[in-house]
Amino acid sequence: MSANLSTGTFRPYTGEKARIARAYDYLVLVLALFLFIGSFHLHFALTVGDWDFWVDWKDRQWWPLVTPLIGITFPAAVQAVLWTNFRLPLGATLCVACLSIGTWIARIFAYHYWNFFPINMVMPSTLLPSALFLDAVLMISNSLTITAIFGGSAFALLFYPSNWPIFGMFHLPVEAGNSQLTVADMFGFQYIRTGMPEYLRIIERGTLRTYGQIATPLSAFCSALLCTLMYTLWWHIGKWFATTRYLNRI
Amino acid sequence: MKTTKKRNVEISVKTINCNEAKPNLQSSLLDYLLLLGMIFSVYMLTLQPAHAHGEKNLEPYVRMRTIQWYDVQWSKQKFNVNDEVSVTGKFHVAEDWPISVPKPDAAFLNISTPGPVMVRTERYLNGKPYMNSVALQPGGDYDFKVVLKGRLPGRYHIHPFFNLLDAGQVMGPGVWLDIGGDEADFTNNIQTINGQAINMETYGLANGIFWHSFWALIGTAWLLWWVRRPLFIVRYRMLHAGLEEELVTPLDRNIGKAILVGVPLLVFVFYTMTVNEYPKAIPLQASLDQILPLSAKVNAGVVEVDTVRAEYRVAERSMKLSLKIKNGSDKAIQIGEFATGGVHFLNKVAPVSQQHDAESVVAAEGLSLDNPAPIQPGEERAVLMTAGDALWESEKLDGLIKDADSRIGGLIFFYDTEGERYVSSVTAAVIPKFN
Ligand SMILES: [Cu+2]
Repeated sequence: MSANLSTGTFRPYTGEKARIARAYDYLVLVLALFLFIGSFHLHFALTVGDWDFWVDWKDRQWWPLVTPLIGITFPAAVQAVLWTNFRLPLGATLCVACLSIGTWIARIFAYHYWNFFPINMVMPSTLLPSALFLDAVLMISNSLTITAIFGGSAFALLFYPSNWPIFGMFHLPVEAGNSQLTVADMFGFQYIRTGMPEYLRIIERGTLRTYGQIATPLSAFCSALLCTLMYTLWWHIGKWFATTRYLNRI
Repeated sequence: MKTTKKRNVEISVKTINCNEAKPNLQSSLLDYLLLLGMIFSVYMLTLQPAHAHGEKNLEPYVRMRTIQWYDVQWSKQKFNVNDEVSVTGKFHVAEDWPISVPKPDAAFLNISTPGPVMVRTERYLNGKPYMNSVALQPGGDYDFKVVLKGRLPGRYHIHPFFNLLDAGQVMGPGVWLDIGGDEADFTNNIQTINGQAINMETYGLANGIFWHSFWALIGTAWLLWWVRRPLFIVRYRMLHAGLEEELVTPLDRNIGKAILVGVPLLVFVFYTMTVNEYPKAIPLQASLDQILPLSAKVNAGVVEVDTVRAEYRVAERSMKLSLKIKNGSDKAIQIGEFATGGVHFLNKVAPVSQQHDAESVVAAEGLSLDNPAPIQPGEERAVLMTAGDALWESEKLDGLIKDADSRIGGLIFFYDTEGERYVSSVTAAVIPKFN
């Protein structure tokens, strides 16, 4: 029935109605904020896990592969809902902002205050530049295909360079025990983790390893390709989950 | 007429929505609490609770026949924040490594602290410093040293232990450590190869917070740019009224284009700046250390021990081992101690000073022999050795007889008249006797 409404007969809300609609906005936003802080952060902690927890897991191969791949899931789903129904291009930024809030809270309280790790050892990575770009692509293109291909790829490709200013300095070489280690490796050696011995780190392993110096770009392009698919998949999951049933009646 | 009807419907729907909002809010809050609970439990699993050493959790045959610790000593057990303390010791890697436990191809010598209450500053295996993991050889002998530095005051029960790839944690003997002083005094400085001093407690934190804040600021601006306008209901109606043009204005589109150009540009510029600032950055190091065993300390060939049969008397809580012992040394020897799974059974009649682990689990008179007379040089003797104590039960080693792998392994310590020590490993299938 909403299709029957034409531009000519559209009457914007005023007065009480406008106020109620605004209150509804805030209610939804606050709920979304809490929901995403909790759920996206949990999803991230369970999947990306150690690659995001520990500074000595942030390698050239797995970290830039896994993080964007998981990081694009919720943004894609939320974009699908907010863009198709409301033309709001902020799904990705909103999700990633919530993820950052949740992660920082966890690192400070669970890791630092409760388990005594220095915060610099468990600093999260940022996906915000990637998310901003993704939102902008969707807004300009208004197309799932273009956003999946260009936005999804950029989401992955921007990840490593946008985090290098945070983590680059942890890769300075240190001489320890007659060998060369990075500062990050020293954190792993010095700050004792009983359940996380060094050999459990899944870093610098696999076929890409053979490509040595260009392992990072290769890994990022691999991630870009997968992100394109992941984006499309989660866009559809988002659409399937979302329902505007009762908005249809307004 | 038609429009009035529609407006009535709108209002009634609105009221329903408002009424629905409350239960929605409550159930969402409940969901959220549930989620928080889940997150909490995930961290519990990831980070391990503070005092779960798990020394008795592993199957007895794993504790007896993998890493056989001895002579574990601490330089001191009472010290302050910033003080260094070292733990030294030896271990024998059992020849009779259980078939169900993966071979120790990657092993990490660790310390069972509840979080980093101490930092590990140095670690040695066979006198060689090592930072990563090593492959251990079954049958090999090793000695180790770990240097730690007090970080958080408190009283902790601490064990050296091995993380074994795909197998778990094999605990060494534990002691109580008292760390005094003030947490705030803790310092931990290292140097890069270029000589730059680094304070590990704060290094890179301010920089990280700066970059997170920088992007958070831009992200927040983008969110506020949209959130300041009427959102869901209004935009939904407008979209379906064909007013898409008003929802995303030309200004919005220009800002979007600015993001498409500006964000990658900023990322690239900052990335390049960092690369230039730290041209010496290297990848994370992921090699395995290579350290060979010492020349044989256990089963060094002087005293030969052959295990003929092992019986466990359930009612008496005693293990009876029939041994064939050949003394190849030039002095008479006596069995002083039998150690297995962290328990030490001492022979009360052997008048020798035994060096066992600090605060170890000891059955002071737990060991007896059918023939207590010293074994003479060159003599070959069949000996029935009985290790009996309630510790078999309290240390949960008696579960052995119910395991799929019910072989025992342990170390026998011999002493000659001069106090010289010979160590032999024993291993045998255990036969339970219930009466
Ligand atoms: Cu303990």
